[in-house]
Amino acid sequence: MLAESATHQTMMIEGDLLHTVTADNISDKRKRFGKLLVWGTALFGLSLALWQFAFETGRVANGFDNWRPVLYAYMLWATALCAAQVIVNGEKGKRTLFVLPAALFVISLVVFPLLFALYISFTDWNLASPNGPQPNGLANVREMWNDEFYWNALKNMVFYVLAVSVEYIIAFGLALLLNSQIRARKFFRVVFLLPLMLSPVAVSWMIGKSMLEVRFGPISRLLREIGIEPSFFGSAEVARFMIMAMDAWTFIPFMMIMLLAGLQALPQEVIEASKVDGATGWQSFKEVIFPLMLPVSVTAIVIRIIFKLKLADIIINVTSGGPGGATDSVTSFIFREYRDRSNVGYGTLLAIVYLILIIIFVTVLLKVVSRWMERPA
Amino acid sequence: MKVELYNYIRNAQKLNRRQVLKGMTAAGAAAMMPKLALGDAHSNVRADILKIPGVGAGSPTDSDWQKVGEMCLGATKENVSAGEFDGVELTFMGLNNQNLHNFLFRGFLKPWEAYTGAKINWIDLAQADYNARLQQSIATGTVDFDIIEMGAPFEGDVLGKGMASEMPDWVKEQIDMDDYVDYLKAPVGTWDGKTYRVSIDGDCHTFAYRTDYFGEGSVTGKEVPTTWQEINQISKDLVGKEDPLTGLPAHGYLDPLKGWGGFGFYFLENRASAYAKHPDSPAWLFEPDTMKPMVNNPAWVQAIQDVMDLIEADAYPADQINADPGTTAFSQFLAGSGSMLNWWGDVGSSARTSDTSVVGDVVGFGINPASDRVYNAQSGEWEETRNEAPNMAYIGWGVYVMATVDSDEKKKKAAWSAAAHLGGKDLSLWASAYPSGFQPYRNSHFQFEEWEEAGYDRAYIEDYLGSNADSYNHPNAAIEPRIPGIFQYYSVAEDELAKGYAGKYASAQETADAIAAAWEKITDQIGRDDQIAVYKASLGL
Repeated sequence: MLAESATHQTMMIEGDLLHTVTADNISDKRKRFGKLLVWGTALFGLSLALWQFAFETGRVANGFDNWRPVLYAYMLWATALCAAQVIVNGEKGKRTLFVLPAALFVISLVVFPLLFALYISFTDWNLASPNGPQPNGLANVREMWNDEFYWNALKNMVFYVLAVSVEYIIAFGLALLLNSQIRARKFFRVVFLLPLMLSPVAVSWMIGKSMLEVRFGPISRLLREIGIEPSFFGSAEVARFMIMAMDAWTFIPFMMIMLLAGLQALPQEVIEASKVDGATGWQSFKEVIFPLMLPVSVTAIVIRIIFKLKLADIIINVTSGGPGGATDSVTSFIFREYRDRSNVGYGTLLAIVYLILIIIFVTVLLKVVSRWMERPA
Repeated sequence: MKVELYNYIRNAQKLNRRQVLKGMTAAGAAAMMPKLALGDAHSNVRADILKIPGVGAGSPTDSDWQKVGEMCLGATKENVSAGEFDGVELTFMGLNNQNLHNFLFRGFLKPWEAYTGAKINWIDLAQADYNARLQQSIATGTVDFDIIEMGAPFEGDVLGKGMASEMPDWVKEQIDMDDYVDYLKAPVGTWDGKTYRVSIDGDCHTFAYRTDYFGEGSVTGKEVPTTWQEINQISKDLVGKEDPLTGLPAHGYLDPLKGWGGFGFYFLENRASAYAKHPDSPAWLFEPDTMKPMVNNPAWVQAIQDVMDLIEADAYPADQINADPGTTAFSQFLAGSGSMLNWWGDVGSSARTSDTSVVGDVVGFGINPASDRVYNAQSGEWEETRNEAPNMAYIGWGVYVMATVDSDEKKKKAAWSAAAHLGGKDLSLWASAYPSGFQPYRNSHFQFEEWEEAGYDRAYIEDYLGSNADSYNHPNAAIEPRIPGIFQYYSVAEDELAKGYAGKYASAQETADAIAAAWEKITDQIGRDDQIAVYKASLGL
């Protein structure tokens, strides 16, 4: 036991010696100075922020024109924090310095905007209003609660997300096809990938607004030739289906390529063994290929769902959410609320709520599917 | 002039090179005739600039713009001495649509810069970015430009907040504001009795129709309709008939049933203005004292009901519910679907120049349709009198100087001098005759002999631009309120209308009530008292 502890200690020292170029003899005074630097600048920044907040809310008479000095104080604190790493921890602190500035940068760009977004989502802020953002408590939440068209957009999202299952089946079929020994396989692999290379905006113009154009679009003409009067965006159901189809056309190749990669990585011996055992093509797919493909499938579906939750561009371009909100996605709805109506407060709240819903949904989804994410032993 | 219009006129006149040269020679010879030679130097400038580069001689280039700018400097020289603005730097924010707008301004202002010694820096914006950029500048108090090219609907946002510089009297004289067409005169461009805007453009909707649908022996057998009641009846009667040009189903008036970022609301306004804009009152969208929306009064409900009736009668082309204004004009009307439409100037000009247009030879123009009766919001009664109220949709672009220059007299004079140069009487004639992105907006622009002299076909100019002139100077023109957030009102109205048209509301009244409720919400959000004040100011009350 004693020997083990001694060995462990030696290893630690040796381990440390491997990385430490100079031995640090950091005095307590230096350590105290480092800590003081961090806490001092933090306190300074915090007091400045509080002071400015008090000024903005009319509690004190003097203050700055804008929040820029607070930002400078934050940057001062960040610099002090970095410097303190070396002051307090010496050589070890230098290692931290490789990561800390980048981490602080990321935190600044994620956490602060998120906090700001959270704040403005509880304000009444219309860009055209001369008064700027006015905190309005839970009024935006109440408005959202009674906003039928937000819930309608959320309901549409359920349909859109469910469509991923159909996309998955088609993508799997195509992946199997491209994995088999067919003629011009490489050519088809590239061709099937082409829709993914197109911007959804281009898809919405080329297909939604040109090929599906009721009067002179080629698809409409073809339908008219065979005696069907075309109408692609006239009724709620057909319009929603057309949006799903266009989105699917763009993104099926994405799932397909992931599944194809999965198929190519499958151990051939197992499949061959199943054939030797006399399994039919279907049996070998059902019992061997599909179970082995589950982790890849689940990953593809989850990523595709995340993509789907952001669906907006095609809808904005082709239907603007119509007819009567039937094709609205949450994002396209927020886009109109925010961009066309400059309704920043309410639009932000809708976005924040949607973000929370997505986080919950994806977390639950990952939890549920985690058992299939691992390859069966 | 809008590019499409320029190309259209050239095509409409079917000029070949020889004719163009002949026209130019004739124009040149005319310029040398004693009558003109005796004219003042001013009119010579007008005739001379119209020869740059010459109608039919290809699109003007930067050197042409600079030449025109140089030749039109006379007015500037009367108020500014050479080198007076040495050391002054100004920033100009404007659009870069179709490589026009700011691109022209650069050329026009280059000789002005050389003469005055001032320097101009440019902020070029795409149309789609313009509103967001302006709103953010206003909301965050970061006005980083001294001169701005801006549409009148934004006046509420900018002038209403005291962000612009008041126009000095010498500018008013230099640009001859009395020459503006009636609807561009005060209250447009003014706020609380002060003038801010140098107009450089005019906008209005006019009525475009297919000539082959009307007259004896035509598919309708009727004369060109002039009222909404006639238009609605013809649209219903056309169901089941065949288009004389394409052989496909015939259709009447084309209403866009889908939104267009707020701009789609102008098209319901076209219908509603005839019912709702009573000659006795300038207000037709909001009640001036309370900002209570008028959009759910019987006049507006009638306009919405008209559209719903036509949907019910199956009078529109298939998928009309997904047709925005762009679709109705460019994919439907010009491609031969439908026979009547309201639109800005460029639908007529695209009729012959657009590749997808098949209606070039059968298109006619007029002012917006009237109504057999008009609703008097004050008495709450319909009056059985004919009412015309052409819709001045968007009111056109202007140049505004920001209040940021007010603290520096030299800079202020320089900024106003630059704005006045761009909105000068002669320079604007050139801009209205050649591709510039702007339409005629002064009475002097409708002196058709000047156009004829420059080589244009008089009959066409009179027919086409005549409909614009009649709308501009109409005594009962419907002018939109220049209040903050006006496009927010339009945008939410579009959404509610789309729901109404899709059957989500039980009736036209319920749809109109939903719009009114949404408008009330926006008014409260922006601040009702502020809105009332700016609305009244915008109406000149």
